[in-house]
Amino acid sequence: MSLTNVKEYFTPSGKDEVLELLQTYGDSALIVAGGSFVHGLDARDLLIGIDALIDIKNIGLDEVRNTSEGLSVDALVTFTELKKAGEIKDRPEFGAVRDALEYPPLQIRNLATIGGNIASACPYFDVPTAIMALDAVVQAQGPAGSRTIDLQSFFAGLFQNALETNEFVTGITFPQLPARSASAFIKLESNANDLAIVNVAARISVDDAGVCQAARLVVGGGVAETPVRAAAAEALLEGSTLSEETVQKAAEAVGTELDPMSDHRASAAYRLAMACTLTRRAVRQAIERLK
Amino acid sequence: MKKLITLEINGELTELSVEPSESLLQVLRRQYGLTGTKRGCDSGGCGCCTVHLDGKAVYSCMVFASSLQNRRVTTIEGLTGDGELDPLQTAFVEKGAVQCGYCTCGIIMTAKEFLSHESDPDEEQIRHAIAGNLCRCTGYHKIVEAIKTAGSGS
Amino acid sequence: MTKTTVVGQSVLRPDAYEKVRGGKGFPVNVTLPGMLHAKLLRSPYPHARIVGIDASEAEKLPGVKAVLLPEDVPQKKFCPVFFVPTMAASMIQDMLILSNTVRYTGQPVAAVAATSIEIAEQALELIDVEYEELDAVFDTESAMRDGAPRLHEAAENNIAKNPVFEFGDLEAGFAEADHIFEGTYKTQRAHTCYMEPRVCVVDCDADGRLTVHSSMQHMFGLREKLAFALDLPDSMVKVIKPPYIGGGFGGKLDIGYIEPIAALLSRKTGRPVRIEQTRFEDFISTTRNPIEVYLKTGIRADGTFTARYARSTLDCGAHATHGAEVIMVHGMFGILLTYRCQNQTWEGRTVYTNNMIGGGYRGYGSPQGCFAVESQIDEICNELGFDPIEFRLKNAHHEGDPHPFLQGFNLTTYRFEDCLRQGAERIDWTQRTSPDSKQGVLRRGVGLGCQPLWVSGCVGFPDIYEHSGAIITMNPDGTANLANATVDMGSGQITTLCQIAAEELGLRADQVRMTYADTETVPFDAPSHASRVTYSAGNAVKAAAADAKQKLLEVAAIMLDTDAGDLEVREGHVHQTGTDRKLTIAEVVTRAESPFVQMTAEGPMPTTIAEKGTIIGVSSLAPPSNPSPSSVEFVEVEVDTETGEVKVLQAVFAHDVGKLINPAAAEGQVEGGFQQGMGYALMENIQFDAETGTCLTGDFLDYKIPTAVEMPRRIESIFIESNEPTGPFGAKSLSEPCCTVPAPAIANAIFNAVGVRVKELPITPEKILAGLGKL
Repeated sequence: MSLTNVKEYFTPSGKDEVLELLQTYGDSALIVAGGSFVHGLDARDLLIGIDALIDIKNIGLDEVRNTSEGLSVDALVTFTELKKAGEIKDRPEFGAVRDALEYPPLQIRNLATIGGNIASACPYFDVPTAIMALDAVVQAQGPAGSRTIDLQSFFAGLFQNALETNEFVTGITFPQLPARSASAFIKLESNANDLAIVNVAARISVDDAGVCQAARLVVGGGVAETPVRAAAAEALLEGSTLSEETVQKAAEAVGTELDPMSDHRASAAYRLAMACTLTRRAVRQAIERLK
Repeated sequence: MKKLITLEINGELTELSVEPSESLLQVLRRQYGLTGTKRGCDSGGCGCCTVHLDGKAVYSCMVFASSLQNRRVTTIEGLTGDGELDPLQTAFVEKGAVQCGYCTCGIIMTAKEFLSHESDPDEEQIRHAIAGNLCRCTGYHKIVEAIKTAGSGS
Repeated sequence: MTKTTVVGQSVLRPDAYEKVRGGKGFPVNVTLPGMLHAKLLRSPYPHARIVGIDASEAEKLPGVKAVLLPEDVPQKKFCPVFFVPTMAASMIQDMLILSNTVRYTGQPVAAVAATSIEIAEQALELIDVEYEELDAVFDTESAMRDGAPRLHEAAENNIAKNPVFEFGDLEAGFAEADHIFEGTYKTQRAHTCYMEPRVCVVDCDADGRLTVHSSMQHMFGLREKLAFALDLPDSMVKVIKPPYIGGGFGGKLDIGYIEPIAALLSRKTGRPVRIEQTRFEDFISTTRNPIEVYLKTGIRADGTFTARYARSTLDCGAHATHGAEVIMVHGMFGILLTYRCQNQTWEGRTVYTNNMIGGGYRGYGSPQGCFAVESQIDEICNELGFDPIEFRLKNAHHEGDPHPFLQGFNLTTYRFEDCLRQGAERIDWTQRTSPDSKQGVLRRGVGLGCQPLWVSGCVGFPDIYEHSGAIITMNPDGTANLANATVDMGSGQITTLCQIAAEELGLRADQVRMTYADTETVPFDAPSHASRVTYSAGNAVKAAAADAKQKLLEVAAIMLDTDAGDLEVREGHVHQTGTDRKLTIAEVVTRAESPFVQMTAEGPMPTTIAEKGTIIGVSSLAPPSNPSPSSVEFVEVEVDTETGEVKVLQAVFAHDVGKLINPAAAEGQVEGGFQQGMGYALMENIQFDAETGTCLTGDFLDYKIPTAVEMPRRIESIFIESNEPTGPFGAKSLSEPCCTVPAPAIANAIFNAVGVRVKELPITPEKILAGLGKL
């Protein structure tokens, strides 16, 4: 196990120190937030060559704030803390995030962080699928300053994110969504402590007449190397009144945009079928939440 | 390279020298002989290693000991400061919720945190609260009853 | 039936208080001064010859104290299984402690003992092994074909064992049948998932004597097998009984590789050596063997069996281990003996493949059989319109019948019918509707599964020894010590045996204490397996207690100047029957341990020689019989016809238990057994990479077992007390059927819900959806 080969565990107290360490260690450093997936990475041989762990818990990035750009969630905010945030609890547009946070067990919720979860670029996680449906963006800090990365670009591949070697995730921001928006997230799992076989997040925004102005359908789990936005299916919903028929058509269309894998958990055919079924159910649930 | 850290374990301040990859679970068992926290899988899948970190239930197998400077750890041995049994412990014994006992302490630690912010929970809430703790002996039935009893203060 | 005061009560477990505070007694906590840590190097190939091993770099690593290679071990083949005499005919001796022939991915090929686990792991990476890869086979069909790689010299076509049982005239039976049903049923590889890993500490002293601590279910079996594998007399090995272990379920009924390897490393280094398996190593160590069952059944128009034929193929993997016994128990109690039929033939095959080895697991072959038999009965009933309960009763054994297999025994108590009828009532069986009548996305169904005949221990089985022993020592404070070799793996063996002793001695359960034991201080006892502890060990404990009681009464008789026959024990006292005269048990024991002449207020008072000495009761005996419990499970499920997901809503379990010793503990067995049976039915499956044989499900993220969320919200137990005359206070066994009957009940409930018959476990949502034609 490569983890025992790690030589240093740093606990910097500010962003500058983090950047300095990244500069020194480059590719042989791993940023650790909650740390709940480090052993998972090790088990997948993704820690080979890592000499230093850089633990960023003490650099003060632990708030949920309303800003002009939208709702900002710092990297070190744990699932438990995010669950308690007023906006997440109450607003219908955050339904998908609320749903996604219900699935992990208590011990994970207390340790896992938004930053760590997103930076892992693991398609079997739940929060990435949920927040992609809300157009969340990633805030990253590098030596040249901070930058914003949209999620689809951020998730570059299986366990690969778009960060430069000397950058780290400082948080995510949920942009302001249209007034009448609601979202939902559903996960298919074999038992209550599982990675997703398939998961789906649906977000709809409608105008006062009930016509859909924007739709997001995101599918994760074993359907691709990253969560996938089913754009063609979204297009079917947009401009419609979200009738049963339209929702059904969009759910079916999701199937045409995915090329899932078969593994010991499930076959590609099952994942495909479930992506469609869960899409239909998630959209219906989001529609319910609009009321 | 080893690090020297200061932390609180079961109410006592202590100094620790740790390797970068050492987990809290390893430290508790090997350096402190606190064997009530147990290894079932070492991968955050079974919950036998559950302890409180600053009052919150976590899998100690995935907490890096190096990250514990100035933090507060509570294990089953420190659940009650005075040697008396916690109502959860009593309930587990009296309801027959203990068979082999290997998962017991992890579940008690989880339930303890859960009950600290959820008074008189119903069965569904309890089952979800312990979803991260596996038991192979009891089928969870009497465990849920015990937590319900302790939670209702009866 | 005598009234009991302690037996029949839900007495609290004495070990529970310690366990909720941390539980110091688990073998995983054992440390000895100077102890070294060992790790095993495991083969990455499923079938290979080791052409060369160079461990010189590993040996040089600071902290490494010894390395063990195949050339260092005794070249003596053994079978690791605990509960049969070592050279018994049914055992297949096909293992070496370390071998130059690799037969499964993960097989240990070398070991290192070092001052820390981390150093040992580092040292493994420095061992250079040159493998010559060989062709591998991963399924029984391929393994049995001519030309397949031969995995063991002694096994032609890789068939390790091929038992056949024939009764009556099968051909005539099928000729007589009005209907014939055929089908193939498959079960998967599953793991016991005991929570405490397999772990041992072995200490070799200067004379070569071994002291062994291990998380295992049988200390005498461990002693015997370890001594055999190391070519030592039994008396050179001492196994210490742990106060309790963290689960076993049959998965700790053999020497893993770890005890012999730790022993050899300890001998080499002169220090105790500890080996603890990782969860991944546990997953590839010992499992429930997959069995494929072909069933062909003939029935008359009235629903009675005319002929039953079955062929079972068991994949034992690289070594036979338990496979030779499991196939027999499977054939007998999973298939042939379940119902009455004059014309039956069963053929079993235990087949070698390059898959991982198997072990014991609750039910021991009968879950695989009951799944097949009970599924087919359900198919027969659905097709021909029989009521599933009446059909089974038509073909059931009857109380008083001669035992269908064990010579010289009868079914002295047999309440299969009561189980069926009472369970049916509790789940509202008559409200069941057919699958065709159901509508909606979510559909509910009710099903039943049975194990009509099981065992209480191993009396009557060829080659398996079955006797128990106990020593009861009375203390001057009126309490009793119980020394017995039974290992408590969580089912409550300690509590049960203390209750039986207490009942016999007229004490409270908490006045009997299970003490320290090792293989040098207590009589032999068979393993904690085969649902035998209550009946068999309980029988011996009761006998030892009766022996102690007799001596107690004889001393009391002297003190009360009467005959022992006039005395009885009750509530901590010896009473002269029909009078007010009594003594406390403490007084009697104290008297027996008092001086020959005692100083009292009245001056020196003599006592007699006759009553002197510690009051001890001893037993070592086989139980008188092997009575059959009977079990039925009724289950209600809800199936989501869009996702195939199954929710188990409720379960009702009915069991002919003879006599309940501890109701709460018995319920615990039922509830826990249901978790295992349900996991087996719906989600558990050890899977491998088809090309490399590498295990893909080596942690709890990938090997799914039910959490508290998946369990049914109602599990009800009905215990029918038939008062078995040969059992201690009337008891028979309980524990294994709890794990056997859920799977067929769930499979049949799923059929009742959605009309989909899945004949291959686990019944995943995907299989149901495919069965509904939606995939």
